Amino acid sequence: MNINWFLIVSALMFALGAIGVLVRRNPLVVLLCLELMLNAGNLALLGFSRMWGDGDGQIFAIVVMVVAACEVAIGLGIVVALYRRRLPIDVDELRELAG
Amino acid sequence: MTSVLASVKGPEIDWAAFSPLLGLFGGALIVLMVGLSSPRVIRAHGVPALTIAAFGATIGLLIWEWNEQVSLIQDALILDRLTILITLLVCVAGIASTLLAWREQAAREIAHGEFFSLLLIAAGGMVVLAASRNLVTTFVGLELLSLPLYILCASRLRSERSLESGLKYLIVGSVGSATLLYGFAMLYGATGETDYAGILTQVVKEGLMGDALFLAAIGMTIVGLAFKASLAPFHQWTPDVYEGAPTPVTAFMSVATKAAALGVIVRLFFTALLPGVDDWRPAWIAIAVISILVGNVGALGQRSLKRMLAFSSIAQAGYLLVGVVVVTELGAEAVVLYLVVYLLANLAAFAVITVRERETGSDAIGSLRGLGARSPILAGAMTLAMLSLAGIPATAGFIGKFRLIEAAADGGYTWLGIVIVVGSMISLAYYLPVVAAMWRPDTEPGVDPATGRAVLAGGAQEAEAERGGWEATLVAAVMGAAILVFGIVPQPLFELVGDVLKGFGTG
Amino acid sequence: MSTQTAAWLVLAMPLAGTLIIALGGRILTPRMAGWIGTSAIAAAFAFAVVTLVKLQGLGEEERHVASSLWDLANAGGLRVSLGIYVDPLSVLMILVVTGVSALIHLYSVGYMSSDEGYTRFFAYLNFFVFSMLLLVLAGNLILLIVGWAFVGAASYMLISYWYRRTTATAAGIKAFVINVIGDIGLVLGTFFIVRQMGVVDFGPLFEGAHSEFAKNDPSLVAGMILILVGAFAKSAQVPLHTWLPDAMEGPTPVSSLIHAATMVTAGVYLIARLHPLFEWAPTAATVGAIVGALTLLIAGTIGLTVTDLKRVIAYSTMSQIGLMIMGVCAAAYVGGLFHLMTHAFFKALLFMAAGSVISAMAGQQSLDRMRGLRKAMPFTFGCFIAGGLALSAFPLMSGFFSKDALLFEVGQRGGGWIVFYVIGYIGSVMTVLYTWRMLYRAFWGDPCPEAVELEGGHLHHAHEHTNPANGEVEDTEVGFPGAEHHIAERTWQMKVAMSALAVLSVLAGLIYLPFGITDTFEKFLEPTFADSIVTHPANDGLEVFGVILTSVLAIGLIAVAYRIWAVGEGRATAWQQRLPLLHRLFVNKWYFDELLDLLFVRPIAWFGRFSRDSFERVVIDGALVGGTSGIVRAGSSAVRALQTGLLRGYAGLVMVGLAAVLLYFLIRAA
Repeated sequence: MNINWFLIVSALMFALGAIGVLVRRNPLVVLLCLELMLNAGNLALLGFSRMWGDGDGQIFAIVVMVVAACEVAIGLGIVVALYRRRLPIDVDELRELAG
Repeated sequence: MTSVLASVKGPEIDWAAFSPLLGLFGGALIVLMVGLSSPRVIRAHGVPALTIAAFGATIGLLIWEWNEQVSLIQDALILDRLTILITLLVCVAGIASTLLAWREQAAREIAHGEFFSLLLIAAGGMVVLAASRNLVTTFVGLELLSLPLYILCASRLRSERSLESGLKYLIVGSVGSATLLYGFAMLYGATGETDYAGILTQVVKEGLMGDALFLAAIGMTIVGLAFKASLAPFHQWTPDVYEGAPTPVTAFMSVATKAAALGVIVRLFFTALLPGVDDWRPAWIAIAVISILVGNVGALGQRSLKRMLAFSSIAQAGYLLVGVVVVTELGAEAVVLYLVVYLLANLAAFAVITVRERETGSDAIGSLRGLGARSPILAGAMTLAMLSLAGIPATAGFIGKFRLIEAAADGGYTWLGIVIVVGSMISLAYYLPVVAAMWRPDTEPGVDPATGRAVLAGGAQEAEAERGGWEATLVAAVMGAAILVFGIVPQPLFELVGDVLKGFGTG
Repeated sequence: MSTQTAAWLVLAMPLAGTLIIALGGRILTPRMAGWIGTSAIAAAFAFAVVTLVKLQGLGEEERHVASSLWDLANAGGLRVSLGIYVDPLSVLMILVVTGVSALIHLYSVGYMSSDEGYTRFFAYLNFFVFSMLLLVLAGNLILLIVGWAFVGAASYMLISYWYRRTTATAAGIKAFVINVIGDIGLVLGTFFIVRQMGVVDFGPLFEGAHSEFAKNDPSLVAGMILILVGAFAKSAQVPLHTWLPDAMEGPTPVSSLIHAATMVTAGVYLIARLHPLFEWAPTAATVGAIVGALTLLIAGTIGLTVTDLKRVIAYSTMSQIGLMIMGVCAAAYVGGLFHLMTHAFFKALLFMAAGSVISAMAGQQSLDRMRGLRKAMPFTFGCFIAGGLALSAFPLMSGFFSKDALLFEVGQRGGGWIVFYVIGYIGSVMTVLYTWRMLYRAFWGDPCPEAVELEGGHLHHAHEHTNPANGEVEDTEVGFPGAEHHIAERTWQMKVAMSALAVLSVLAGLIYLPFGITDTFEKFLEPTFADSIVTHPANDGLEVFGVILTSVLAIGLIAVAYRIWAVGEGRATAWQQRLPLLHRLFVNKWYFDELLDLLFVRPIAWFGRFSRDSFERVVIDGALVGGTSGIVRAGSSAVRALQTGLLRGYAGLVMVGLAAVLLYFLIRAA
């Protein structure tokens, strides 16, 4: 399969993730969209790894998966803390710090 | 199964050269364990003391390895002068932040062990980042520094602002990480290599200089790194996060993250991406100029000191970039020198803010009123810090700025030097009011200067002094003295950062 | 004691004074702080005299001594040391600075004694003297820049000394900002020079200049013009002069010390110090002379129209410094520095006398309110007359000889420099007029209520203390400005300081008389300017002409001023009734006044108003200062408006930034 297909799909994923971060207001969905952006990078890495025929990209992708999991865990932790403080679960309401 | 394992050979590791990293990560583990112990005194005082010991041990190991240039783990990391200097900066910032955090509410809220071990892990991540010679380790280092900081920012679990800053930092920071990752993926796609040396040879060999994939990769890498160094227009998280995060964490972030980010920018762009210099230089120049303008202009009229320093740090990052874009040894030296100077001034300032915040509950500029009369040491340190950040002669800041301008002119970018000077002129308009506020007497005794409300009568003064803590005063005094001494006798600084590119790219 | 040791001690004294007063502020009584400050400067003066004696003991060829304590930095092939350079020029400067400063400290002990911030005042004042001495003794460009910046900071602190006055803090900030502009010019200029030469010490710098640069080398000219920007800012030259009149918000001793005698002359010193470089870049020197001449004229005309007593003297200072800058740029070094010295004496004296007058008027500074103070304050009047005569170059006063020497040396160069010679005399006309306008209006005529009160033996005190600049009521409870006033007639410290300066203003001319009668001053400075490549051909005719012209202008114009301002209309009516025979004469006088007014005073006054209103307010304050700060302010609100706190907005800007960077790189690739 041509490398271009991998790249197109991955670019679409990246753009979709970015749009999601821009338009969604629920932090949980925003976190999902961030995952999408990271996985777009992963897909590109795997595609290139296939193209070059070596394992570097695949190893990189596995490392990224670990990192992404950590990120989501921390994000969820903060969201739970927000929930416990009975704060709105909405990124637009987080405007205490501005100016 | 055994046969497969036998056929996989682990990489050679020079444990001596690897030891500074082990100091930090080992320290993090020990601190985490000790933090589980039940006596409160061990948790509240033993843990920070151990944290300082870990940072101190790392500095000791660094000095032991001072003249080494060793490539580690198959060139994934390198120990050279740049790594050592950045690690040194990170450790000094770590010790200072630990001292500032000793009585911090945040450490109590998420437990001391966790708080301080996260601090050590973030420091380790910074070292990995500055030492990395491979895209994978660069990314790992970056995340290793960012993830603990996300938590530390949100560590005042009962404060809405702290949680908000943590979530904002996490989301915006992750966008940056994803961008950087995508850039790295494209870099790997363009060259088929993940280590810097390999990328460099491949780019030169294949003549990839004008290649669209390679250039797009550079662009996304620039954006991702500009995020971490809080450069405009990727700076917007900075003021909010600096303001909301616990002050010791802000102090650590503002200094150490910047050092690590500038370290990796210098290493990546001076080696692997060097062939594309004509393409990436204008982009960095634009970012530097925008940062200097946005940072200085945004800091005007801020009421919160932390917010003001956040904008100021954006401008300072812009100054630092000037040393990068000239791509000379002098430029790299100027960057590291300026990092040292910036560290001294910022830590002094944040130490004073920490004390005042505990005493008055506010970080407004007005909360400094009358500080000169009550605590001349703190006020003196803050004055020196502000003057140094503004680059007034006889402070270390002047030496740093002078070196940057010299590097800019030497590299043929005199006009960037002038931009620095113009930025510094604007900056006087927000640094000097801070100095003026401190040496102005209190309006009326018995009134809380920050809120204008009357303070409770009797005994409040002693309690305030107790809450402020001597550790923060110590940090302020040491940093303030260093600003003055290096401002008058800068020769040791020049010698410290001399040969910063020694061993650069070897191995 | 060697020359170097003495010079280092000159520098150490005020530093020690600053530290003692600043650190011991709580232990010392205010009075002790004042005396410690004064004696520190007096000791510095004593050591300056020792330095002079030691230096004169050396052979003429050896009269430049460099000494360094330790290396500040040694990097990139550039060695910067903490070193001083002692030669006749710097010795002259330290003598003038320490001598005048010591007297002004003494004056301040009396004048400021009711001010609560007394200790702080002397700490600042000592720090200023230290910075100024560092500036003039600096042995290399870097240390000179440090002294230069310190002087600016000290000036800022002293102008804003009464920081409860909003006008004073605003004036301080204005002075600081303009000084910083100058500092930048100086730093960048230095950069141009040092980049080429690779040395910063004065000795090697001057020796190497001719081999490293071609004559009028573009980079040398650019560097020197940038350095001139520094000199212009510090010496209040057009268009960087607007801070000086505002700086009059500071206490009067500050105006006397900083804004008359010492700091503002730093630009003149700088040009004289770097004369080998300026002579090698004649274009830059010409630019300097033109700006000096412009300042001389513009400040002179403005001085004729302002009514604030201190501001008249301030504009006069600007104009006189313009004359000196023009002089030293035209290679009239000896005359220029001679005028610098005498000007320090008589202008400091005028400010001190003005301080005494302002005290008698209970803080009121407007000339419109002053009248007939002559009888009430005879001593102050005498000092004012001595200073005024010297300033207007009345024959045989110090100012007469120095201005004459300066303009003669300019005229000696002949050629195009004659233009500057003529401008110098036009400036003199205005100098005499504004000096005597001020004197006649304040001291002649019927006594104003305050003067009558003082004649009756009581010093006037206002019921309500107001800021003379904007009429705001001041809170004298906190003690600065203090509620009490002190006049020279009743305070011996002020009297001693003013007497000494009055004697100097009258007699200081004797050390350098025309026609070679005495040439002590010229001989003294000769070693410094021996390397000058500009020759001054003898021209006896011109010298005679100059002496006569200066005398005639001074005497004649004092008489003219008398007719215009002393013998006013009210006076005329009174005389008209008493002496009817003279009636016709006074009618004619009135006609003469109108004619004079129409032909002479009005155009100049109009031009002065025009310069003040349009030039300063619109062009300089509006366009240069206001415009820039407006842009900065607008930028600030824009940046802060973007900082909405809205997370999605931040992510959006990131995407925009990312798109821009990617677009750039893709265009590069295509």
